[in-house]
Amino acid sequence: MAVQDRPDESSWKIVGQSVPRREDAWLLTGKGCYVDDVPEPPNTLHLGFVLSPEAHARIVSIDVAEAKALPGVFDVLTGEDVAALAQPIRTGFLLEGHRDTSRDAVARDKVRFVGEAVAVVVAENPYVAEDGVERVHITYDPLPAAVDLESAARDDAPVVHEELGTNILLESTFATEGLDEAFAGATHVIKETFRTGRIAGVPMEPRGCLATTDRAGEELTVWTSTQIPNIVKTALGKLLGHPESNIRVITPDVGGGFGTKAHFYPEELVCPALALKYGRPVEWIQDRREELLTNIHAREHIYTVEAGIDADGVIVAMHCNMMANSGAYSSYPFGATLEPVGGVRFVLGPYHIRNYGYETRAVASHTCPAGAYRGTAQPTAMLAIEGMMDRIARKVGIDPAEARRRNLIQPDQLPYTTAVGMFYSTGSYTESLARAMEMIGYEDYRASQPADRLVDGKYRGIGICCYTENSGMGVAAIRARGWSTLPGFDGALVRVATDGKVKAYISHAASGQGHYTSFAQIVADQVGVPFEDVSIVVGDTGQTPAGTNTFASRGTVTGGGAAIRACLVVADKMKRIAAQVLEVSADDIVLEDGKAVVQGVPDMKLSVREIAEVAYSMSSHDLPEGEDYGLEATDHYDAGMPTIANAVHIAAVAVDAADGTVEVERYVVVHDCGRIINPMIVDGQVHGGAVQALGEVLMEELVYDEAGQLQNATLLEYLLPTALDIPMIEVEHIESVTDENPGGFKGLGEGGVIGGVPALTNAIADALAGIGANVNSNPLRPSHLSGLIAASKRFS
Amino acid sequence: MKPAPFEYVAPESEAEVLELLHRHGDDARLLAGGQSLVPMLNLRIVQPAVIVDLGRCAPLAYLNQENGALVCGTMTRQIMAENSPEVRQGCPLLAAALPYLGGKAHRNRGTVGGTLAHADRLAELPAVALALEAEIIVRSAGAERTVAAADFFLADLTTALQEGEMLHAVRFPKATTNERSAFAEVGNRRHGFAVVGVAAVLEVGNDGACTKARLAAMGVGATPVRLMEAEQILEQGSLGEDAVRAAGDAAVRAVDPTDDIHASAAYRRRLTATLVQRSVQEAVGSGGSDGTGRAMA
Amino acid sequence: MSSGTVEVRLTVNGVEYARSVEPRYLLVDFLRHELGLTGTHVGCEQGVCGACTVLLDGVTARSCLHFAVQVSGAEITTIEGVTADDTLSPIQEAFHSNHALQCGYCTPGFVLTTVELLRENSAPDESEIRQGLTNNICRCTGYVNIIKAVAEAAGNMKNGAG
Repeated sequence: MAVQDRPDESSWKIVGQSVPRREDAWLLTGKGCYVDDVPEPPNTLHLGFVLSPEAHARIVSIDVAEAKALPGVFDVLTGEDVAALAQPIRTGFLLEGHRDTSRDAVARDKVRFVGEAVAVVVAENPYVAEDGVERVHITYDPLPAAVDLESAARDDAPVVHEELGTNILLESTFATEGLDEAFAGATHVIKETFRTGRIAGVPMEPRGCLATTDRAGEELTVWTSTQIPNIVKTALGKLLGHPESNIRVITPDVGGGFGTKAHFYPEELVCPALALKYGRPVEWIQDRREELLTNIHAREHIYTVEAGIDADGVIVAMHCNMMANSGAYSSYPFGATLEPVGGVRFVLGPYHIRNYGYETRAVASHTCPAGAYRGTAQPTAMLAIEGMMDRIARKVGIDPAEARRRNLIQPDQLPYTTAVGMFYSTGSYTESLARAMEMIGYEDYRASQPADRLVDGKYRGIGICCYTENSGMGVAAIRARGWSTLPGFDGALVRVATDGKVKAYISHAASGQGHYTSFAQIVADQVGVPFEDVSIVVGDTGQTPAGTNTFASRGTVTGGGAAIRACLVVADKMKRIAAQVLEVSADDIVLEDGKAVVQGVPDMKLSVREIAEVAYSMSSHDLPEGEDYGLEATDHYDAGMPTIANAVHIAAVAVDAADGTVEVERYVVVHDCGRIINPMIVDGQVHGGAVQALGEVLMEELVYDEAGQLQNATLLEYLLPTALDIPMIEVEHIESVTDENPGGFKGLGEGGVIGGVPALTNAIADALAGIGANVNSNPLRPSHLSGLIAASKRFS
Repeated sequence: MKPAPFEYVAPESEAEVLELLHRHGDDARLLAGGQSLVPMLNLRIVQPAVIVDLGRCAPLAYLNQENGALVCGTMTRQIMAENSPEVRQGCPLLAAALPYLGGKAHRNRGTVGGTLAHADRLAELPAVALALEAEIIVRSAGAERTVAAADFFLADLTTALQEGEMLHAVRFPKATTNERSAFAEVGNRRHGFAVVGVAAVLEVGNDGACTKARLAAMGVGATPVRLMEAEQILEQGSLGEDAVRAAGDAAVRAVDPTDDIHASAAYRRRLTATLVQRSVQEAVGSGGSDGTGRAMA
Repeated sequence: MSSGTVEVRLTVNGVEYARSVEPRYLLVDFLRHELGLTGTHVGCEQGVCGACTVLLDGVTARSCLHFAVQVSGAEITTIEGVTADDTLSPIQEAFHSNHALQCGYCTPGFVLTTVELLRENSAPDESEIRQGLTNNICRCTGYVNIIKAVAEAAGNMKNGAG
């Protein structure tokens, strides 16, 4: 049947409004249900994992006798025992130059990072499980470890995976034609190396899972704190050898993810494996120390960038060499390729750069595996390009904003395809920069800024980030990245019940971003019912269609797209039924506010409930000829290649000359994510991301020593921003609607951190420009900034 | 992270507490506010066989005025001391430092005695006790002794308490009318552990001259450190810019910090000088014993 | 249970409970698993994050840093006790209208911190609000809307709008 491809503009009524969130009703009152709140069935067993204290070692012996003998301990398993139940985890990437790794759920023979599971204790409760963990005695034969990025990349570094013979898990190069000539034609060549420290996502809720089986041991239900229930389901089926149709994965309320929970972890494999083995429910709840030790790490990157510019500061050629520390294993499903491929391809940002080349490497090391944390490589890529913009400005003697204006893709150049083939459909690069500068009073700030930047004992500076954000990946995008375990599409089932209320089941998973509200806004508008009459189900593979789930800012685009398409099918059927009952043409019917109304004849109407009753054969009216019973539709939406959002962040900071501490005095954002569903939710995402950026720039870093021991695996020493650290972030919006997807949406979840990292770093660099400091790394702790200030005084 | 099993006792009298300590020795740990101990128990860093909970021993929580001193029983909650008019009037440095000890939930339950006995090298009150030349009253079964603050803190997490002893109370000398004091600390985050902190107590005559100076720094070594050379410079009388700067520079010579993942030794030295200047300047400007004023950047 | 059990009596949200548990059983686990009050959350078990914050005899306390037996006899208020029925308190209402929560994991702790903050200071300025909120960590919201929510709640409660 013919269904229009995109909704009429006039249908968007509730979409666009800051509707207060429906999920607050349970989250605010303590009625949220996170995985550890799911009522434990009787006879639930609890797991405790024995974690390796060595970064690289052979496992010589494992003695479980004392642990097994402890009252309350049910069983203790080694890696060999678990291997009999579950296959190792491999990413199976289809990408040139990628070397895959094999990860046992529980290590056999060798451990490759501190925190890797070496044995698992099964006990009556979590307290006894830990008692059991302490009583497992393991001897190791320690081996040399490769820890930091540059050391691990050397030819003589200890190799993490012997069978690979190298720590380079990915090497990739690219160059446009005539790149060398383009560089030769440059007036100046500016080179800089940017280094960012390893960080962690640290959602407030650590991970956990509860696996149960039915009596026959066939139906496996797994509650898990994840962003990717469908991906987990498929992985479980494959690695447990269990029919996928007999597996149901449910995400309860999830206390934050930020990408860290968009990975399939070994514990999620062990927990269901043991539920099947014992025929009893098995639960595992992660603690914070385990969270910091073993949940994916991110952003240990080095970018060496060369930009050839003309006399006006316009980039005529650029080259980027990138390295990323991937840790001990290629994480599932994104693996070691995510950051190093993303970084060198996203670094072009919103700029018109035609001559470009890169080399990139993913490097294995004896540290926790890396993966997707909000922004993935985009915050560091934008750090690099935006750092170059400021250096270009200094070289040519112009304002950093002007350097950007000269290089930004202009409105009349859109749509635009970048030198690496990324397609920018719509965008507001120059407009957002202009407006952000107005908001913060950039011109006045510059006009009154002293050359030495010192005002009242503080060095004050202002920094800009213009960025593009990759969002809404579909099948083509995922295939291009080689991610063979991700389908790429998403699905929605929209069903009207006999009472006229609507429920939409969407293949996404909520972790705080407001799915229960924003998806309901879309459905309400497209089915023409009040917001209150719509409810949403996400995060349950037993209820929703198949899909790729929630990461990389794709929920709005792919979930919204699928929901719209399913709604349009349902709406069409509703109109046809109403048309028959009212004896008019379907073209004359408008659905609004829970009714089908004949245009121009307000007295001729039918409620959605009455329409549903016809559809379910509960009415005196018959269905139209040829119509099927029921009132629902399922649609799968493929968003294809990414749609590109953009924004500008500008930060003004003050660096205390005496103690090196930084205060963010003002922070403005002009944000463009296409059609906005809920402005309040968008602002919240921007705030949260920007404050994560603040953490990343000022205070967060996971520090391994040379032996591969993580020095700060507690929140006492891995510092997160508090309410005292943050500016009151001001956000304005531009909506560059795109026709790439039915809703005209673009993703937005990661933008806050993508913009924040460069804006804050550049502001600090600007603040210290008067003393000639070179700021090219994160984090910028007070000690580091004070050191730069002190060094400048020695030479002044 | 769950603690290992332990036996639990909550005596209601100090005599009982001391008898338990005598009996169990190092197999027992005292539980005061728990804000420092319980994290260690949860991480299983310590696994005592017996926990003696001081929370039911009411006689251990008190704030008494003695001749020229404020005596603070070990179980006095930090927030009680912070809000107490007697502390604000009589020991303004203590009142000024207490808000730095942690968030509200910490200070509601943490105790004055507990943080002193725990002696974390990044705790504020040991430096305060040092600057005030406080005395620690130590009791064991059948004995009591007094230890000067200068002799009490031996190393990170290590005090002069012997097996079987507990910190019964701390005696803070009351502020004289000429006393000016301030506490300043800086950390890698506006709220949280300090990198360096300085407690400053001065006596300033009506003529503005300094007659007495006591300065203690924390975060610069395994224990808090008195900055005696800096004190001597200020006791020459002038509290002008040059003198204060010279005191800061002298303080750097008194400390021997190390590099760690949070900050470099060089930064800690620079920060010592900066915080000596800040705390002295704030103390001089504070105009009297009202115990307010956060010296944070 | 290698060290035996102890008697714990607690009044939680106005209801008296008596249970036998191990001495090492943390208060947060007691509330969550013995009493089924799962609104109080475990975030770190180090006392840093504040997700476990409850009111203990009226003041905020980290339930992850107390043993149930240690506070036997006390009165505890958890998030479930903030409203007696299904309506939102003025603080919760202000959090709702200001979008001061996203994943909700830290939120019960923030609400209880705000209850204490506004009881002790009915008209805090922004710097006092920020200082008071150091009691809790949020990773989702960036605090901007939480600060606004607390200010709004203070205003509403002062005007008797709740």
